[in-house]
Amino acid sequence: MPDVKGVLLPAYVLADESGSMGPYRRELSDGLLSLCEALRAEPMIAAKLRLAVLGFSEDVQVRLAIADMRTETTVPQVTIRGVTNYGAVFNDLLYRIPADVQWLRGQGYKVHRPVVFFLSDGQPTDGNGWRTTHATLVDKAQTPAAPNIISCGIGDAKPATMIDVATSEQFAFVARPGVSIGAAISEFFAALVSSLVESGQALNTANPTLVVNRPDQFTMAIDEV
Amino acid sequence: MAPRQISNRGAGLSAAAWERMTVQPPSMPFEPGPPKQSAYDVLDTECEGWSTDRFTMRAASVRGDSHRWPRRSKPRQDCVRATVYERTGTLVFAVADGVSGAVHSEFGSREACRTAVETLVEQLARGGEIDLGAVVQNAVGRLVELTQWRLGRQPDEAPTTKEVSDLFATTLVTGIVQPTRDGDCFVDLCRVGDSGAWALDRSRAPYDPELYTPLFATKTGAGKKFVSNRVAALPQLPAELERVQTQLAQRETLLIGTDGFGDPLGDGDGEFGAMFAEQLHTPPAPLWFAHVLDFSRETFDDDRTLLAVWPLRGQR
Repeated sequence: MPDVKGVLLPAYVLADESGSMGPYRRELSDGLLSLCEALRAEPMIAAKLRLAVLGFSEDVQVRLAIADMRTETTVPQVTIRGVTNYGAVFNDLLYRIPADVQWLRGQGYKVHRPVVFFLSDGQPTDGNGWRTTHATLVDKAQTPAAPNIISCGIGDAKPATMIDVATSEQFAFVARPGVSIGAAISEFFAALVSSLVESGQALNTANPTLVVNRPDQFTMAIDEV
Repeated sequence: MAPRQISNRGAGLSAAAWERMTVQPPSMPFEPGPPKQSAYDVLDTECEGWSTDRFTMRAASVRGDSHRWPRRSKPRQDCVRATVYERTGTLVFAVADGVSGAVHSEFGSREACRTAVETLVEQLARGGEIDLGAVVQNAVGRLVELTQWRLGRQPDEAPTTKEVSDLFATTLVTGIVQPTRDGDCFVDLCRVGDSGAWALDRSRAPYDPELYTPLFATKTGAGKKFVSNRVAALPQLPAELERVQTQLAQRETLLIGTDGFGDPLGDGDGEFGAMFAEQLHTPPAPLWFAHVLDFSRETFDDDRTLLAVWPLRGQR
Protein backbone atom coordinates (compact mmCIF):
# COMPACT_ATOMS: atom_id res chain seq x y z
CA MET A 1 0.00 0.00 0.00
CA PRO A 2 1.46 3.42 -0.93
CA ASP A 3 2.08 6.00 1.78
CA VAL A 4 -0.52 8.57 2.66
CA LYS A 5 0.67 11.66 0.75
CA GLY A 6 -0.78 14.01 3.32
CA VAL A 7 -3.90 14.92 5.22
CA LEU A 8 -5.97 17.63 3.56
CA LEU A 9 -8.79 19.95 4.58
CA PRO A 10 -11.21 20.55 1.67
CA ALA A 11 -12.70 24.05 1.99
CA TYR A 12 -15.64 25.43 -0.02
CA VAL A 13 -16.51 29.09 -0.32
CA LEU A 14 -20.15 29.64 -1.29
CA ALA A 15 -20.64 33.19 -2.56
CA ASP A 16 -24.11 34.61 -3.06
CA GLU A 17 -24.27 35.99 -6.64
CA SER A 18 -27.97 36.96 -6.55
CA GLY A 19 -29.08 40.27 -8.04
CA SER A 20 -29.09 42.09 -4.71
CA MET A 21 -25.31 41.55 -4.48
CA GLY A 22 -24.85 43.63 -7.64
CA PRO A 23 -23.65 46.80 -5.90
CA TYR A 24 -21.04 44.75 -4.01
CA ARG A 25 -19.54 42.81 -6.88
CA ARG A 26 -16.25 44.64 -6.45
CA GLU A 27 -15.99 43.72 -2.76
CA LEU A 28 -16.76 40.08 -3.61
CA SER A 29 -14.08 40.01 -6.32
CA ASP A 30 -11.53 41.78 -4.11
CA GLY A 31 -12.27 39.37 -1.28
CA LEU A 32 -11.68 36.34 -3.49
CA LEU A 33 -8.46 37.88 -4.80
CA SER A 34 -7.18 38.54 -1.27
CA LEU A 35 -8.06 34.97 -0.28
CA CYS A 36 -6.04 33.56 -3.20
CA GLU A 37 -3.09 35.87 -2.52
CA ALA A 38 -3.09 35.09 1.21
CA LEU A 39 -2.95 31.34 0.56
CA ARG A 40 -0.18 31.74 -2.01
CA ALA A 41 1.80 33.64 0.62
CA GLU A 42 1.38 30.71 3.03
CA PRO A 43 2.60 27.72 1.03
CA MET A 44 2.93 25.42 4.02
CA ILE A 45 -0.67 26.11 5.03
CA ALA A 46 -1.92 25.98 1.44
CA ALA A 47 -0.28 22.56 1.03
CA LYS A 48 -2.74 21.21 3.58
CA LEU A 49 -5.85 22.78 2.04
CA ARG A 50 -7.81 22.33 -1.15
CA LEU A 51 -10.07 25.27 -1.99
CA ALA A 52 -13.20 25.46 -4.12
CA VAL A 53 -15.22 28.62 -4.87
CA LEU A 54 -18.84 28.28 -5.93
CA GLY A 55 -21.18 31.09 -6.93
CA PHE A 56 -24.86 30.56 -6.29
CA SER A 57 -28.16 32.16 -7.23
CA GLU A 58 -30.87 30.10 -8.97
CA ASP A 59 -28.17 27.51 -9.56
CA VAL A 60 -24.56 26.84 -8.59
CA GLN A 61 -21.70 27.69 -10.90
CA VAL A 62 -18.11 26.63 -10.33
CA ARG A 63 -15.78 29.63 -10.05
CA LEU A 64 -12.86 27.50 -8.89
CA ALA A 65 -12.93 23.70 -8.91
CA ILE A 66 -11.23 22.22 -5.88
CA ALA A 67 -7.62 23.32 -6.25
CA ASP A 68 -4.16 23.45 -4.71
CA MET A 69 -3.71 27.20 -4.25
CA ARG A 70 0.07 26.99 -4.43
CA THR A 71 -0.17 26.19 -8.10
CA GLU A 72 -3.53 27.69 -9.10
CA THR A 73 -2.92 30.72 -11.33
CA THR A 74 -6.47 31.94 -12.01
CA VAL A 75 -8.55 34.12 -9.71
CA PRO A 76 -12.23 33.15 -9.41
CA GLN A 77 -14.58 35.65 -11.05
CA VAL A 78 -18.15 36.18 -9.80
CA THR A 79 -21.18 36.82 -12.03
CA ILE A 80 -24.17 38.61 -10.54
CA ARG A 81 -27.41 36.96 -11.59
CA GLY A 82 -30.87 35.71 -10.48
CA VAL A 83 -32.37 34.87 -7.11
CA THR A 84 -31.19 33.22 -3.88
CA ASN A 85 -31.94 29.53 -4.12
CA TYR A 86 -30.50 27.78 -1.06
CA GLY A 87 -31.79 24.40 -2.26
CA ALA A 88 -29.54 24.58 -5.31
CA VAL A 89 -26.53 25.12 -3.02
CA PHE A 90 -27.10 22.16 -0.74
CA ASN A 91 -28.14 19.88 -3.59
CA ASP A 92 -24.89 20.71 -5.38
CA LEU A 93 -22.78 20.14 -2.25
CA LEU A 94 -24.56 16.85 -1.56
CA TYR A 95 -22.98 15.42 -4.70
CA ARG A 96 -19.89 17.59 -5.08
CA ILE A 97 -18.31 17.05 -1.67
CA PRO A 98 -18.38 13.22 -1.63
CA ALA A 99 -17.05 13.19 -5.21
CA ASP A 100 -14.21 15.59 -4.31
CA VAL A 101 -13.35 13.59 -1.18
CA GLN A 102 -13.29 10.38 -3.20
CA TRP A 103 -11.04 12.03 -5.79
CA LEU A 104 -8.60 13.31 -3.16
CA ARG A 105 -8.45 9.86 -1.58
CA GLY A 106 -7.77 8.43 -5.00
CA GLN A 107 -4.80 10.81 -5.21
CA GLY A 108 -3.39 9.19 -2.06
CA TYR A 109 -4.51 11.73 0.57
CA LYS A 110 -6.36 11.31 3.81
CA VAL A 111 -9.09 13.88 4.29
CA HIS A 112 -10.27 15.96 7.22
CA ARG A 113 -13.99 16.66 7.44
CA PRO A 114 -14.69 19.30 4.76
CA VAL A 115 -15.65 22.84 5.71
CA VAL A 116 -18.09 25.17 3.92
CA PHE A 117 -18.06 28.97 4.30
CA PHE A 118 -21.50 30.22 3.25
CA LEU A 119 -22.07 33.93 2.55
CA SER A 120 -25.54 35.28 1.68
CA ASP A 121 -27.22 38.65 1.68
CA GLY A 122 -30.79 37.42 1.57
CA GLN A 123 -33.44 35.03 2.70
CA PRO A 124 -33.87 31.90 0.57
CA THR A 125 -36.23 32.49 -2.33
CA ASP A 126 -37.14 28.81 -2.31
CA GLY A 127 -38.85 29.08 1.09
CA ASN A 128 -38.28 25.94 3.15
CA GLY A 129 -37.57 23.82 0.10
CA TRP A 130 -33.87 23.63 0.94
CA ARG A 131 -34.22 22.14 4.39
CA THR A 132 -34.61 18.47 3.41
CA THR A 133 -31.52 18.51 1.21
CA HIS A 134 -29.58 20.45 3.86
CA ALA A 135 -30.55 17.89 6.51
CA THR A 136 -29.28 15.06 4.31
CA LEU A 137 -26.05 16.93 3.58
CA VAL A 138 -25.14 17.47 7.24
CA ASP A 139 -26.28 14.05 8.50
CA LYS A 140 -23.10 12.00 8.91
CA ALA A 141 -25.12 8.75 8.78
CA GLN A 142 -26.48 9.59 5.33
CA THR A 143 -23.51 11.60 4.08
CA PRO A 144 -20.23 10.29 5.55
CA ALA A 145 -18.42 13.33 4.09
CA ALA A 146 -20.92 15.71 5.75
CA PRO A 147 -19.22 19.12 6.02
CA ASN A 148 -19.00 21.61 8.86
CA ILE A 149 -20.86 24.70 7.63
CA ILE A 150 -20.04 28.24 8.75
CA SER A 151 -22.74 30.72 7.73
CA CYS A 152 -22.42 34.50 7.50
CA GLY A 153 -25.48 36.61 6.84
CA ILE A 154 -25.44 40.17 5.56
CA GLY A 155 -28.17 42.51 4.35
CA ASP A 156 -31.57 40.83 4.56
CA ALA A 157 -30.30 37.46 5.79
CA LYS A 158 -31.95 36.64 9.12
CA PRO A 159 -30.14 35.24 12.18
CA ALA A 160 -32.56 32.31 12.48
CA THR A 161 -31.83 31.27 8.91
CA MET A 162 -28.06 31.47 9.42
CA ILE A 163 -28.38 29.30 12.53
CA ASP A 164 -30.34 26.72 10.53
CA VAL A 165 -27.73 26.71 7.76
CA ALA A 166 -24.71 26.40 10.08
CA THR A 167 -23.84 23.04 11.62
CA SER A 168 -23.30 24.64 15.03
CA GLU A 169 -24.71 27.79 16.62
CA GLN A 170 -21.09 28.86 17.18
CA PHE A 171 -20.61 28.80 13.41
CA ALA A 172 -23.49 31.23 12.58
CA PHE A 173 -22.81 34.96 12.22
CA VAL A 174 -24.71 38.04 11.06
CA ALA A 175 -23.39 41.52 10.30
CA ARG A 176 -24.05 44.13 12.99
CA PRO A 177 -26.97 46.44 12.21
CA GLY A 178 -25.81 49.54 10.35
CA VAL A 179 -22.64 47.97 8.96
CA SER A 180 -22.37 48.50 5.22
CA ILE A 181 -22.72 45.34 3.17
CA GLY A 182 -19.48 46.08 1.31
CA ALA A 183 -17.52 46.36 4.54
CA ALA A 184 -19.16 43.18 5.87
CA ILE A 185 -18.11 41.26 2.75
CA SER A 186 -14.52 42.41 3.20
CA GLU A 187 -14.57 41.34 6.84
CA PHE A 188 -16.03 37.97 5.86
CA PHE A 189 -13.06 37.27 3.62
CA ALA A 190 -10.56 38.49 6.23
CA ALA A 191 -12.04 36.09 8.78
CA LEU A 192 -12.13 33.34 6.17
CA VAL A 193 -8.40 33.73 5.53
CA SER A 194 -7.50 33.72 9.22
CA SER A 195 -9.78 30.74 9.89
CA LEU A 196 -8.17 28.75 7.08
CA VAL A 197 -4.63 29.69 8.12
CA GLU A 198 -5.23 28.84 11.76
CA SER A 199 -7.05 25.63 10.86
CA GLY A 200 -4.15 24.75 8.56
CA GLN A 201 -1.75 25.27 11.46
CA ALA A 202 -3.90 23.14 13.75
CA LEU A 203 -4.02 20.23 11.30
CA ASN A 204 -1.62 17.38 12.03
CA THR A 205 -1.22 18.51 15.62
CA ALA A 206 -2.68 17.27 18.85
CA ASN A 207 -5.32 19.99 18.58
CA PRO A 208 -8.90 20.04 17.31
CA THR A 209 -8.86 20.71 13.60
CA LEU A 210 -11.25 23.53 12.75
CA VAL A 211 -10.67 27.12 13.83
CA VAL A 212 -13.54 29.53 13.08
CA ASN A 213 -12.91 33.22 13.59
CA ARG A 214 -15.82 35.61 13.87
CA PRO A 215 -15.58 38.32 11.23
CA ASP A 216 -15.17 41.85 12.59
CA GLN A 217 -18.44 43.78 12.37
CA PHE A 218 -20.32 40.48 12.76
CA THR A 219 -22.01 39.04 15.82
CA MET A 220 -22.88 35.48 16.57
CA ALA A 221 -26.35 34.93 15.15
CA ILE A 222 -28.96 34.72 17.93
CA ASP A 223 -32.41 33.54 17.10
CA GLU A 224 -35.37 35.69 18.15
CA VAL A 225 -38.13 33.98 20.08
CA MET B 1 46.62 40.31 16.56
CA ALA B 2 46.01 38.00 13.66
CA PRO B 3 43.12 35.59 14.08
CA ARG B 4 44.01 32.04 15.03
CA GLN B 5 44.20 29.55 12.26
CA ILE B 6 40.99 27.53 12.16
CA SER B 7 41.19 23.86 11.38
CA ASN B 8 39.78 22.93 7.99
CA ARG B 9 39.10 19.38 9.07
CA GLY B 10 35.79 18.22 7.64
CA ALA B 11 35.78 20.83 4.89
CA GLY B 12 36.11 18.10 2.31
CA LEU B 13 32.98 16.31 3.47
CA SER B 14 30.02 16.64 1.18
CA ALA B 15 27.32 18.92 2.54
CA ALA B 16 24.89 16.87 0.49
CA ALA B 17 25.28 14.03 2.97
CA TRP B 18 23.41 16.15 5.52
CA GLU B 19 20.64 17.36 3.25
CA ARG B 20 17.27 16.47 4.70
CA MET B 21 16.08 12.99 3.87
CA THR B 22 13.05 13.23 1.67
CA VAL B 23 9.94 11.18 1.21
CA GLN B 24 8.13 12.44 -1.87
CA PRO B 25 6.71 15.00 -2.15
CA PRO B 26 9.21 17.07 -0.09
CA SER B 27 8.36 20.18 1.89
CA MET B 28 9.81 23.50 0.75
CA PRO B 29 13.21 24.50 2.17
CA PHE B 30 13.50 27.69 4.26
CA GLU B 31 15.58 29.19 7.06
CA PRO B 32 13.79 28.73 10.42
CA GLY B 33 12.66 31.61 12.59
CA PRO B 34 13.59 31.88 16.27
CA PRO B 35 11.31 30.36 18.89
CA LYS B 36 9.56 32.77 21.22
CA GLN B 37 11.78 34.83 23.52
CA SER B 38 11.04 32.85 26.69
CA ALA B 39 11.87 29.50 25.08
CA TYR B 40 15.59 30.01 24.54
CA ASP B 41 16.47 26.77 26.30
CA VAL B 42 14.08 24.67 24.22
CA LEU B 43 16.43 23.73 21.40
CA ASP B 44 15.36 23.07 17.82
CA THR B 45 16.72 19.52 18.00
CA GLU B 46 17.98 17.31 20.78
CA CYS B 47 19.26 13.78 20.58
CA GLU B 48 20.64 11.12 22.85
CA GLY B 49 22.05 7.63 22.48
CA TRP B 50 23.80 5.00 24.56
CA SER B 51 23.97 1.29 25.23
CA THR B 52 24.00 -1.03 28.20
CA ASP B 53 25.03 -4.66 27.87
CA ARG B 54 21.37 -5.52 27.19
CA PHE B 55 20.04 -2.87 24.84
CA THR B 56 20.90 0.11 22.70
CA MET B 57 18.79 3.27 22.94
CA ARG B 58 18.47 6.20 20.57
CA ALA B 59 16.16 9.18 21.08
CA ALA B 60 15.61 12.45 19.27
CA SER B 61 13.12 15.29 19.27
CA VAL B 62 13.00 17.67 16.31
CA ARG B 63 11.07 20.91 15.76
CA GLY B 64 8.60 20.58 12.90
CA ASP B 65 8.49 22.95 9.94
CA SER B 66 5.19 24.44 11.12
CA HIS B 67 7.01 25.69 14.23
CA ARG B 68 10.12 26.72 12.30
CA TRP B 69 8.18 28.84 9.77
CA PRO B 70 9.47 32.39 10.37
CA ARG B 71 6.13 34.21 10.48
CA ARG B 72 4.75 31.99 13.21
CA SER B 73 7.81 30.33 14.68
CA LYS B 74 7.38 28.60 18.02
CA PRO B 75 9.57 26.35 20.15
CA ARG B 76 9.49 22.60 19.79
CA GLN B 77 6.59 21.31 21.91
CA ASP B 78 7.60 17.62 21.87
CA CYS B 79 9.94 16.13 24.44
CA VAL B 80 11.69 12.84 25.20
CA ARG B 81 13.55 11.77 28.33
CA ALA B 82 15.16 8.43 29.17
CA THR B 83 17.46 7.00 31.79
CA VAL B 84 18.58 3.62 33.03
CA TYR B 85 17.72 2.33 36.49
CA GLU B 86 21.19 1.12 37.27
CA ARG B 87 20.48 -1.64 39.80
CA THR B 88 18.50 -3.74 37.30
CA GLY B 89 19.58 -2.18 34.00
CA THR B 90 15.99 -1.17 33.25
CA LEU B 91 15.33 1.53 30.68
CA VAL B 92 12.90 4.18 31.90
CA PHE B 93 11.44 6.51 29.29
CA ALA B 94 8.83 9.16 28.57
CA VAL B 95 7.75 10.82 25.31
CA ALA B 96 5.35 13.78 25.27
CA ASP B 97 3.70 16.03 22.70
CA GLY B 98 2.66 19.42 24.09
CA VAL B 99 -0.76 20.48 22.80
CA SER B 100 -0.18 23.40 20.47
CA GLY B 101 -3.17 25.32 21.82
CA ALA B 102 -1.64 25.42 25.31
CA VAL B 103 0.34 28.58 26.02
CA HIS B 104 3.44 26.86 27.46
CA SER B 105 3.09 23.35 26.09
CA GLU B 106 6.86 23.16 25.55
CA PHE B 107 7.25 23.23 29.33
CA GLY B 108 4.21 20.99 29.90
CA SER B 109 5.70 18.20 27.79
CA ARG B 110 9.13 18.54 29.41
CA GLU B 111 7.81 18.53 32.98
CA ALA B 112 5.48 15.60 32.26
CA CYS B 113 8.46 13.60 30.93
CA ARG B 114 10.73 14.48 33.82
CA THR B 115 8.10 13.68 36.43
CA ALA B 116 7.23 10.37 34.76
CA VAL B 117 10.87 9.27 34.58
CA GLU B 118 11.61 10.30 38.15
CA THR B 119 8.48 8.58 39.48
CA LEU B 120 9.28 5.36 37.65
CA VAL B 121 12.82 5.33 39.00
CA GLU B 122 11.46 5.80 42.54
CA GLN B 123 8.99 2.96 42.00
CA LEU B 124 11.71 0.65 40.68
CA ALA B 125 13.88 1.49 43.68
CA ARG B 126 11.03 0.49 46.00
CA GLY B 127 10.67 -2.85 44.21
CA GLY B 128 7.54 -4.72 43.20
CA GLU B 129 5.17 -3.93 40.33
CA ILE B 130 5.33 -0.50 38.79
CA ASP B 131 2.16 1.60 39.03
CA LEU B 132 1.75 3.49 35.75
CA GLY B 133 -1.51 5.04 36.94
CA ALA B 134 0.41 6.70 39.78
CA VAL B 135 3.10 7.82 37.31
CA VAL B 136 0.52 9.63 35.19
CA GLN B 137 -1.15 11.08 38.29
CA ASN B 138 2.21 12.48 39.42
CA ALA B 139 2.73 14.06 36.00
CA VAL B 140 -0.66 15.75 36.33
CA GLY B 141 0.27 16.87 39.84
CA ARG B 142 3.40 18.52 38.48
CA LEU B 143 1.40 20.38 35.83
CA VAL B 144 -0.99 21.56 38.55
CA GLU B 145 1.98 22.82 40.63
CA LEU B 146 3.38 24.67 37.64
CA THR B 147 0.01 26.28 36.97
CA GLN B 148 -0.29 27.38 40.58
CA TRP B 149 3.13 28.99 40.38
CA ARG B 150 2.47 30.51 36.95
CA LEU B 151 -0.84 32.06 38.05
CA GLY B 152 0.57 33.24 41.39
CA ARG B 153 -1.93 31.20 43.38
CA GLN B 154 -1.72 30.37 47.05
CA PRO B 155 -1.13 26.69 47.90
CA ASP B 156 -4.76 26.24 48.89
CA GLU B 157 -6.06 27.79 45.65
CA ALA B 158 -6.06 24.84 43.30
CA PRO B 159 -6.30 25.77 39.61
CA THR B 160 -9.10 24.30 37.52
CA THR B 161 -8.43 21.55 35.00
CA LYS B 162 -9.09 24.08 32.25
CA GLU B 163 -6.50 26.49 33.64
CA VAL B 164 -3.90 23.72 33.73
CA SER B 165 -4.89 22.56 30.26
CA ASP B 166 -4.76 26.07 28.78
CA LEU B 167 -1.16 26.46 29.96
CA PHE B 168 0.48 23.03 29.91
CA ALA B 169 -1.65 20.37 28.16
CA THR B 170 0.42 17.48 26.81
CA THR B 171 0.16 13.88 25.68
CA LEU B 172 2.36 11.28 27.39
CA VAL B 173 3.71 7.80 26.67
CA THR B 174 5.80 6.39 29.47
CA GLY B 175 7.07 3.07 30.72
CA ILE B 176 10.01 0.72 31.10
CA VAL B 177 12.02 -1.81 29.10
CA GLN B 178 13.21 -4.56 31.42
CA PRO B 179 15.83 -7.01 30.10
CA THR B 180 14.82 -10.60 30.91
CA ARG B 181 16.99 -13.60 31.75
CA ASP B 182 16.23 -15.31 28.43
CA GLY B 183 17.75 -12.43 26.48
CA ASP B 184 14.56 -10.67 25.41
CA CYS B 185 13.10 -7.50 26.87
CA PHE B 186 9.84 -7.03 28.74
CA VAL B 187 8.07 -3.79 27.83
CA ASP B 188 5.45 -2.17 30.06
CA LEU B 189 4.05 1.18 28.97
CA CYS B 190 0.96 3.37 28.98
CA ARG B 191 -0.27 6.45 27.18
CA VAL B 192 -2.60 9.42 27.42
CA GLY B 193 -3.35 11.00 24.05
CA ASP B 194 -2.41 10.10 20.51
CA SER B 195 1.34 9.48 20.69
CA GLY B 196 2.15 5.92 19.72
CA ALA B 197 4.34 2.85 20.06
CA TRP B 198 5.34 0.20 17.54
CA ALA B 199 7.45 -2.95 17.29
CA LEU B 200 9.59 -2.81 14.14
CA ASP B 201 10.34 -6.35 12.94
CA ARG B 202 13.77 -6.02 11.34
CA SER B 203 13.58 -9.53 9.88
CA ARG B 204 10.79 -8.45 7.52
CA ALA B 205 11.26 -6.86 4.12
CA PRO B 206 10.37 -3.22 3.41
CA TYR B 207 6.70 -2.70 2.44
CA ASP B 208 5.71 -5.85 4.36
CA PRO B 209 2.31 -5.09 5.96
CA GLU B 210 3.57 -6.55 9.24
CA LEU B 211 6.86 -4.63 9.28
CA TYR B 212 5.49 -2.35 12.03
CA THR B 213 3.10 -3.66 14.68
CA PRO B 214 1.31 -0.84 16.52
CA LEU B 215 1.14 -1.41 20.25
CA PHE B 216 -1.74 1.07 20.61
CA ALA B 217 -4.67 1.77 18.25
CA THR B 218 -3.65 4.26 15.54
CA LYS B 219 -5.68 7.24 14.31
CA THR B 220 -4.81 7.06 10.61
CA GLY B 221 -4.77 3.33 10.06
CA ALA B 222 -6.51 1.68 7.14
CA GLY B 223 -10.28 1.81 7.26
CA LYS B 224 -10.55 5.22 8.92
CA LYS B 225 -12.74 7.36 6.63
CA PHE B 226 -11.97 10.74 8.14
CA VAL B 227 -9.02 11.81 10.20
CA SER B 228 -9.64 13.21 13.64
CA ASN B 229 -7.02 14.97 15.70
CA ARG B 230 -9.27 15.37 18.71
CA VAL B 231 -7.20 13.78 21.50
CA ALA B 232 -7.15 13.42 25.22
CA ALA B 233 -4.19 15.10 26.87
CA LEU B 234 -2.97 15.66 30.41
CA PRO B 235 -4.18 17.02 32.78
CA GLN B 236 -7.30 15.21 31.61
CA LEU B 237 -7.22 11.51 32.30
CA PRO B 238 -9.14 8.80 30.46
CA ALA B 239 -11.58 6.64 32.39
CA GLU B 240 -9.22 3.73 31.80
CA LEU B 241 -5.51 4.16 31.15
CA GLU B 242 -4.30 2.51 27.92
CA ARG B 243 -1.58 0.11 29.03
CA VAL B 244 0.41 -2.47 27.07
CA GLN B 245 2.73 -5.21 28.32
CA THR B 246 4.68 -7.18 25.74
CA GLN B 247 7.92 -9.04 25.07
CA LEU B 248 10.41 -7.51 22.64
CA ALA B 249 12.22 -10.16 20.61
CA GLN B 250 15.83 -9.84 19.43
CA ARG B 251 14.67 -9.18 15.86
CA GLU B 252 12.44 -6.31 16.99
CA THR B 253 13.08 -2.65 17.71
CA LEU B 254 10.73 -0.83 20.05
CA LEU B 255 9.65 2.59 18.76
CA ILE B 256 7.91 5.23 20.87
CA GLY B 257 6.88 8.29 18.88
CA THR B 258 4.69 11.35 18.75
CA ASP B 259 2.18 11.83 15.93
CA GLY B 260 4.80 13.80 13.98
CA PHE B 261 6.30 10.36 13.33
CA GLY B 262 3.14 8.23 13.61
CA ASP B 263 1.02 10.15 11.10
CA PRO B 264 3.38 9.83 8.12
CA LEU B 265 4.18 6.25 9.15
CA GLY B 266 0.52 5.25 8.86
CA ASP B 267 0.40 1.47 8.55
CA GLY B 268 4.17 1.43 7.98
CA ASP B 269 4.02 -0.44 4.68
CA GLY B 270 4.86 2.48 2.41
CA GLU B 271 7.95 4.44 1.39
CA PHE B 272 8.20 6.26 4.73
CA GLY B 273 8.09 3.03 6.73
CA ALA B 274 10.64 1.45 4.40
CA MET B 275 13.04 4.38 4.81
CA PHE B 276 12.91 4.20 8.61
CA ALA B 277 13.20 0.40 8.61
CA GLU B 278 16.34 0.67 6.49
CA GLN B 279 17.85 3.45 8.61
CA LEU B 280 17.04 1.68 11.89
CA HIS B 281 18.12 -1.82 10.83
CA THR B 282 21.11 -1.32 13.11
CA PRO B 283 21.42 1.53 15.61
CA PRO B 284 22.65 4.66 13.81
CA ALA B 285 24.79 7.33 15.44
CA PRO B 286 22.59 9.56 17.63
CA LEU B 287 23.15 12.61 15.40
CA TRP B 288 22.18 10.59 12.33
CA PHE B 289 19.10 9.28 14.15
CA ALA B 290 17.99 12.90 14.68
CA HIS B 291 18.84 13.70 11.07
CA VAL B 292 16.61 10.89 9.79
CA LEU B 293 13.82 12.12 12.04
CA ASP B 294 14.20 15.59 10.48
CA PHE B 295 12.76 14.13 7.28
CA SER B 296 11.14 16.35 4.70
CA ARG B 297 7.65 15.48 3.53
CA GLU B 298 4.95 17.86 2.33
CA THR B 299 2.10 18.52 4.81
CA PHE B 300 3.82 16.53 7.59
CA ASP B 301 5.21 19.54 9.44
CA ASP B 302 4.49 18.80 13.09
CA ASP B 303 7.23 18.30 15.72
CA ARG B 304 8.47 14.75 15.62
CA THR B 305 9.98 12.70 18.45
CA LEU B 306 11.13 9.11 18.46
CA LEU B 307 12.75 6.79 20.98
CA ALA B 308 14.08 3.45 19.70
CA VAL B 309 15.33 0.43 21.64
CA TRP B 310 17.30 -2.51 20.18
CA PRO B 311 17.65 -5.52 22.53
CA LEU B 312 21.16 -6.94 22.85
CA ARG B 313 22.06 -10.43 24.01
CA GLY B 314 25.21 -9.62 25.92
CA GLN B 315 26.94 -8.41 22.76
CA ARG B 316 28.56 -5.33 24.14
